[in-house]
Amino acid sequence: MNTQKSTPKICIIIPAYNESAVIGSVIKSLMKELKKTKYSTSVVVVNDGSQDDTSIVARTCGVYVIDHILNSGAGAATATGLSYAEQNGFDVAATMDADGQHAAEDVIRGIDEILRRGDDLLIGSRLINKKGMSKAKIIGNKGLSVITYILFGIHSTDSQSGLRIFSRRALGSLRWKTNGYEFCSEMLWRAKQLNLRISEYPIETIYTDYSKSKGQNNWNGINIVKSLLKRRIAELMG
Amino acid sequence: MSRYFLLLLLTSPFILLSILSALTKYKLGRSTKKHFVIQVVIWLLIFIGLASAESIYIWLFQHRLTQTEPLSLFDVIQITAIVMVFYIANRSRTKIETLEKRIQDLHQELSIRLSDKK
Repeated sequence: MNTQKSTPKICIIIPAYNESAVIGSVIKSLMKELKKTKYSTSVVVVNDGSQDDTSIVARTCGVYVIDHILNSGAGAATATGLSYAEQNGFDVAATMDADGQHAAEDVIRGIDEILRRGDDLLIGSRLINKKGMSKAKIIGNKGLSVITYILFGIHSTDSQSGLRIFSRRALGSLRWKTNGYEFCSEMLWRAKQLNLRISEYPIETIYTDYSKSKGQNNWNGINIVKSLLKRRIAELMG
Repeated sequence: MSRYFLLLLLTSPFILLSILSALTKYKLGRSTKKHFVIQVVIWLLIFIGLASAESIYIWLFQHRLTQTEPLSLFDVIQITAIVMVFYIANRSRTKIETLEKRIQDLHQELSIRLSDKK
């Protein structure tokens, strides 16, 4: 942990489920980059009820670990991490995937950007620069972004990105109801309802065989759409 | 008593209760004005549909757009049951969502606090 006084307090949250194979290297590369920054930083891994050694590996790396008692989904794990950041008075929080698809440099660049721009929610878009992304992934992600626009009226080039940066204002107010991957779109909707300032910045995607196998596939996209539709109708009914 | 009037009489309590519940939620700050308006509009549309059922049936029948029999007592019971089920389902869904949210919050808080002790 890198701590300095009178500098913004930054919390980096890594929701993880059965990621023992890569979580160690993700944390190490993040810590290495964080040491180069001027911020006071904390890394928090939210272990979402993993059945493997995710929690043990993360603790060995020296980061704070929150263990979910029950496996609750990516949305719930992210909410837990953000709640922790809010309760502990962090100025900015960032979420990143545990499968190694996000570069630590992009996380730090996002933190720099949100502090410079004064936005409330900054999304790392993998689709501004599509390098390394398969056509199927591009279609799936673009499709979900279009559906997010149709259902919620929010334009985002990458509504499903796991790399997001939150301001203090967003930490204190942003809440969502879905627990699975659909929370990515719902979060944008809630941010819009709260009149939070949302923007995007381009990020690189590191696709390894491992991250390809762990990510969402297009079939899961159907479940996401179903869940978002249900949420939209339920919201209409009160 | 007209069967159409009986239908209105039987379904009105559910519609009134739903509007009242939406109003209470709005006044207590548990829902937004937009949600309140949408709910009231939905229930008012159902009420208007039921209140003008006879006129709609006569118009459709005169223009040869329907050949069905006029409203039977069984139809009245069936439509009332549908409205009642819609009302109960909506209330149950709201309650389940509230409970789900509380369980999620509890789980989240427990996970954070237990991790503090490790």
